[in-house]
Amino acid sequence: MAAPTVLPLFRSDIGAKMTTDFSYQLRETLVHLEGVSKSYDGTPILRDVNLEIKNLVRPDCLQGQVVALLGPSGMGKTTLFRILAGLETPDSGQVLMGGEQKTVRSGQVGVVAQHYPLFAHRTVLGNLAVAGKQIGLKGSAARDKAADLLERFGLTEHSDKYPAQLSGGQRQRAAIAQQFMCSDAFLLMDEPFSGLDILAQETLIRFIHDIVSKDELMTFILITHDISAALQIADTVWVLGRDRNESGNPLPGARVQASFNLIERGLAWHEDIAALPEFGILRQEIRELFPRL
Amino acid sequence: MNTESTVMASDTAPANGSPTLVPATHSSAALKVGDRTPKPSEGLLSLFLPNRHVAFPLLILVGLVEAALFLALWVLSPYDVLPTPLEVLSALGRLWMTQGLGQELATSFGLNLQALLWSSLISLGLAYLTVLPVFRPLVTAISKGRFLSLAGFTFIFTLMVGGGRPLQVTLLTFAITVFYVTSMASVIAAIPRSEFEHARTLRMSEGRIVWEVVILGTADKAFEVLRQNAAMGWMMLSLIEGIVRSGGGIGAMLLAESKHFALAEVFAIQLVILIVGMVQDYSIEWLRRLCCPYSVLTLERK
Repeated sequence: MAAPTVLPLFRSDIGAKMTTDFSYQLRETLVHLEGVSKSYDGTPILRDVNLEIKNLVRPDCLQGQVVALLGPSGMGKTTLFRILAGLETPDSGQVLMGGEQKTVRSGQVGVVAQHYPLFAHRTVLGNLAVAGKQIGLKGSAARDKAADLLERFGLTEHSDKYPAQLSGGQRQRAAIAQQFMCSDAFLLMDEPFSGLDILAQETLIRFIHDIVSKDELMTFILITHDISAALQIADTVWVLGRDRNESGNPLPGARVQASFNLIERGLAWHEDIAALPEFGILRQEIRELFPRL
Repeated sequence: MNTESTVMASDTAPANGSPTLVPATHSSAALKVGDRTPKPSEGLLSLFLPNRHVAFPLLILVGLVEAALFLALWVLSPYDVLPTPLEVLSALGRLWMTQGLGQELATSFGLNLQALLWSSLISLGLAYLTVLPVFRPLVTAISKGRFLSLAGFTFIFTLMVGGGRPLQVTLLTFAITVFYVTSMASVIAAIPRSEFEHARTLRMSEGRIVWEVVILGTADKAFEVLRQNAAMGWMMLSLIEGIVRSGGGIGAMLLAESKHFALAEVFAIQLVILIVGMVQDYSIEWLRRLCCPYSVLTLERK
């Protein structure tokens, strides 16, 4: 692993406290996958997946974190997404979540699936309000929180629109905002960069960076096959893939094959990360890993 | 081909390798690719080309032309047995003024409305109850009632509710319900898993999910199912009023006129049913758009 790099001061225009201190601590475990395996119709999809996400703390900073689970198509990423979301139970192993490390259940983690789910029969504001009700927010409290989120996510002028009237980017932000109404610690996103053009990808990266840099308790877990996008936003990358037998044929069932600490490589909390030479080197490293998975 | 939009990269690529900005004419030309708006040159030909957007006034005009063609075919029909439009209008006046067509129409409208309300209550209730596995076999069994003849139920329903109007209401409610419940149960069965899961990720209880996803989420489709079954109600009405003539109604009148080969009167009654049915159809559609405005937002033809 590369030695930690001291990075020059950068101007944050997205709300992070300006600092030259890139030291950090990893404290208690927030998410823990212990030997998670899952099969469908006898075919192993995931096999003994182990990973641990710890609470990352930066001195004098409101810094959350972004973890990316990378893998080529067909590696069980969506299955892992569903298990992490508490929508699916693993055949063996367990997923422990939060400070108390309890088995994950649906609703504990904010979830934004690939198609940015929203209730089609409710307006954007209605979608947020109905989510607020689930955590006991009533009347003006729900409206205030919804209005705050709409403003924060640049959706105020679209509050009376139905999901079908939103653009892809607006819909994605609305779906995130809805999840934030009732879950503000973990947000799990499945293929968030899929189908977005380069500008929309950059907007989303800035958007996630903005949220994470303002909330030390926020943990984004991105499940994606997009190496470049993941490296631009993540602090830690886990790569999912299959083992191979002696003949070089893939064995069924994916597990975590590699992990990369981007902070240690000087590729986190940094503007224009993609322009750094280290970025290209790491991207190529992971790119070369993919065909072997 | 438009020369403005066919500039090859090699034509414009500068020798120094710097990027070439494509002129604005290219962008606008590219935007038209795949657009379904007809070209001006297509004119009325666009009416015969698939998936073309046609202006509403033009569609109205086409409808009027087609109606005129139908009328002309009717007037010029070689079949002497067919009454002429004038004969039908004359019969309509006669039926309305002297034979109580308006009264019978009101009776039938009331019957259809009553049966529709009952069948909506029963069908929607049963369809929503399919969220409980214990009700699924029952709903499946009821939907199989579509294959049964109403004549076979007349006697048993007579014993249960007596004759006349209650029997008509029961028969029509049964006839509509077996189709209504089938359609609505299919709508609910077709809700994607992702919609349930989305609600679960928002910490909704399963009861709340039924309200949000199953009931509210399918409200627009429920209107459409209602519309179709309300129309079927009119279709079955004449049969039921024919079976139970003591309850009266426009269907009984239709069968009586048909028995006497009074085709002008038969056509007149059919015309009245058609007009009332169309008004009912448009009313339900209007109600759907009013209550569920989101239902038409993504349609190609709104």
